[in-house]
Amino acid sequence: MAVESRSVTAKSNPSTPVVIASLLVTLALLTLPFVFRLDGKPHADWQQFLGRFHPLIVHLPIGLMLLVPILEIVGRRRPSLREAAGFVLTLSLFACIGALILGYLLAYGSGESGPLVALHMWGGIALTIGVIACVAVRPQWASGEAQGIFRTLYLVLLPCVVITLAWTAHEGGSLTHGPNYLTEFIPSPLKRLPLVDTARADTSSAPNSFYTKHIHPILDANCVACHGAGKVKGGLRVDTYAQLMKGGHDGRVIVGGQPEKSILLQRITLPSDHKNFMPAEGKPPLKPLEIAWIRAWIQQGASSSAASLVGIAVPYDAKQASLPPVEDYSSRMAEIAQAASAEGVTMTPVSSNLRDGLILNTIDVASRFGDAQLAKLEKFAPYIVEVELGRTSVTDASFDTLAKFHHLRALHLEGTAITGAGLAKLHALTELTYINLSETKVTTAAISTLSEMKNLKHIYLYDTPAQPIANQAAAQAAATKAP
Amino acid sequence: MKQHPLCTDTEHGPTILDLPIAAGLKTEWAALQTRRHFLGRAGKVLGWAAMASLAGDKALRSIGQSAKMAAAPTPEQLRLPHFAPRAKRAIYLFMSGAPPQMDLLDYKPNLAQQYDKDLPESVRGTQQLTGMTAGQARFPIAPSHWDFKQYGNSGTWISDLLPNTAKMVDDLTIIKSMNTDAINHEPAIMLLNTGNMNAGKPCLGSWLSYGLGSMNDNLPTFMVLLSKTNPKENNQPVSSRLWSSGYLSSEYSGVGLRSAGDPVLYLSDPQGVDREVRRKMLDAVNAINHQTYDELGDPETNSRISQYEMAYRMQASVPELTDMSKEPQSTWDLYGAEAKEPGTFAYNCLMARRMAERGVRFTQVYKRGWDVHSDVTKILPVLCQETDRASYALITDLKQRGLLDDTLVIWASEFGRTVYSQGGLSKDNYGRDHHPRCYTSWMAGGGVRPGITYGETDDFSYNVVRDPVPVRDFNATILHCLGIDHNKLTYKFQGLDQKLTGTTPASVVQGLLA
Repeated sequence: MAVESRSVTAKSNPSTPVVIASLLVTLALLTLPFVFRLDGKPHADWQQFLGRFHPLIVHLPIGLMLLVPILEIVGRRRPSLREAAGFVLTLSLFACIGALILGYLLAYGSGESGPLVALHMWGGIALTIGVIACVAVRPQWASGEAQGIFRTLYLVLLPCVVITLAWTAHEGGSLTHGPNYLTEFIPSPLKRLPLVDTARADTSSAPNSFYTKHIHPILDANCVACHGAGKVKGGLRVDTYAQLMKGGHDGRVIVGGQPEKSILLQRITLPSDHKNFMPAEGKPPLKPLEIAWIRAWIQQGASSSAASLVGIAVPYDAKQASLPPVEDYSSRMAEIAQAASAEGVTMTPVSSNLRDGLILNTIDVASRFGDAQLAKLEKFAPYIVEVELGRTSVTDASFDTLAKFHHLRALHLEGTAITGAGLAKLHALTELTYINLSETKVTTAAISTLSEMKNLKHIYLYDTPAQPIANQAAAQAAATKAP
Repeated sequence: MKQHPLCTDTEHGPTILDLPIAAGLKTEWAALQTRRHFLGRAGKVLGWAAMASLAGDKALRSIGQSAKMAAAPTPEQLRLPHFAPRAKRAIYLFMSGAPPQMDLLDYKPNLAQQYDKDLPESVRGTQQLTGMTAGQARFPIAPSHWDFKQYGNSGTWISDLLPNTAKMVDDLTIIKSMNTDAINHEPAIMLLNTGNMNAGKPCLGSWLSYGLGSMNDNLPTFMVLLSKTNPKENNQPVSSRLWSSGYLSSEYSGVGLRSAGDPVLYLSDPQGVDREVRRKMLDAVNAINHQTYDELGDPETNSRISQYEMAYRMQASVPELTDMSKEPQSTWDLYGAEAKEPGTFAYNCLMARRMAERGVRFTQVYKRGWDVHSDVTKILPVLCQETDRASYALITDLKQRGLLDDTLVIWASEFGRTVYSQGGLSKDNYGRDHHPRCYTSWMAGGGVRPGITYGETDDFSYNVVRDPVPVRDFNATILHCLGIDHNKLTYKFQGLDQKLTGTTPASVVQGLLA
């Protein structure tokens, strides 16, 4: 080390001792991974103790290295800053070596292995060697007395080092936070870019199986950061079905039909302060429901293809059923409130999320609310998802207006004077799932058109010519189409 | 205002409001002062004068102003529901007194062989029993007197006592693993309603009206229907504590309809007072109340104003609500003839449907008499006969009218009953004591998964063995169906962000959700 720091002051081409020292350190770094192989087995505790300072120290060389090109560029105008660049570069070399040693201790001590760990390690080594080279050749370049290749070598090396730095740092971040950390919440238009690989196809399980839909996402969210393609702690990968069933250093972690013998289940159900508890390192434990699913899935054979499990109720899949959001109306709220109070109706948000839309409720003015009043509210149609016109004076003429409420999901017309003429106009409402025509004059013929509406699953016709009260028992079964 | 002789410089002296302290402290202090002011006024002039001399006229007014700032947020400011709800309203059939789960919904076929055998001590553990059975020499197992059969596509076992409930099992979400912390009626019923065994906390209905607001300006948001008591049954008292708004503004309290006579007392105008005179009188009273509010800023003054206005509107809306003359014959065929008699459980179920139609957010129907400490075989059939058909009628009626999609119906009690007999056990009769460790309830409609049975109890219906649902989780799940995150609907009081589910962490029971 001492040799290198002296080299800063050298004026001519790199002196022999500097070259020798640089080559020696480089050689040492390159042989390190072969002498102390990362075999996936944990070693001494002191190594881990020191190693865990790696994430702290590692930010030093990053900061210092990024400063060097800035100082070099700005130094063209203010020579004093260029002088400082040399000092900062040397500092960053020490920081690099320190971070590298600690990082190696961390990986070696805790028994981490896997391609991502290896990549990060080689990145760190390459980076350190690059910095050594920079330190070695910079004095000649800075003095302006450099000959031949040394006139440009530094200018080529430095950008290379910075790029290596960025890449290595990214790999390190992926190790800590999981490979998807950066791209997980990327805006959807950017998702299509080829660089962003969010979908990890797993060909070893059926696409519609309980495993793929419910077990894999649990493992993906909680375990893959340490047991995935990148980092393979304990030799276990759970990122694909095949890898999961293969197990790790301790053998199989999933034994189909035998939850009590499945190490994975044991580990996630230990007391959370137990040494072997998973997820480790203070990451949040799995939720009881997730554990129940994993247990039931193992109990029932840990199949990669079974679509459902006996006794396991999968809750309503909100994502699957999510409806298109309505347009943003936040800028028109005052207008909406004014129109509502002018008509005596309410237009209340479905939820705190404005994009869930508004509910138009006319109950307070039902007797004096008719087609004309409805038409006045038409300008807010894009924001309204539910219209309650029960017992109002609207008529069949209202269907013209209602057809423009293209986000409408529920429509209440019970107890109105409609006869169903013009119901076909509602075909424009592709999101409509519920219509209540109870206590109106609609006939079987009039409502036949509704059967063409695919999403319209709930049609209520109680006490209408289409479904008179007398034979309600028979019609009751027909009222709700099979989902 | 007269100046107190001992006070020399109150007009210009600094008050707490002028001190450089946190604004939150000031408003809290001001709110307390306002309350003291009210007490003072109740104590005639003395308190008033003392207050005035202490604070001074100007300061008093500024106290009023800052108390106003402390007023609770409006539903708009709460930004509720937190997420798109599956249910807009709820109907709560409260089976006060605790029905015996093993005689109705929690089928235990093995008990028949255990007749009169002692309940194994390993099952009872170290549980402390009530004073009513703790002294019993033995705890003889009393199998259910009634047979069970399987019904519906779900193959759910239902007692012969509930032939109508049996018809709708595929619409029900039955929870066999309910459990509570209290073993006596008052604390348990309080816990279920308010999340706390002690009175003074707002109940579920008050939280819902506070959080979600009204859907109909002309009717209260939260209504309570008490069913008439049957003297043959063991009726535990229920009181307005159960539908109280606690520390929330009193406008969120439940409004009860009487079971006999006028549904709301003094609703009709007295002779010689027509609607116009009533309006003028109210306007004048409101003007005075507004003046008081401006002076003191006590939010309860506003509650008073809004309650007077609500009563005025109810003069028109309640007669329409309670007028059942337009109900078709099919209604009476469904609910039974006793639905025509005001105050019966059947009448109240029908009323609950009418309220749901009219946008009442939360209706709670109380049916008392389930406290069958003795004579189960005689009294239980009466109770079931009173409630089984009406519960079925309500669900069926809501379903056929398209209301069940966004109405959550809850059938629940404060706890369950013991498998062992209280008092003598014979082949024909037995009694059952309070049992908090497990009991059965059901839900139906918006947000819950129909046709399932959730949770399991042991062979004696004594302990939960799978998927326990404590009361706080039950309430969290109800709130979830109505679009509310139970951890986010809070109200600052006594230094705590108070909530319905209390301080013990509660979670929504995902397995119950549709």
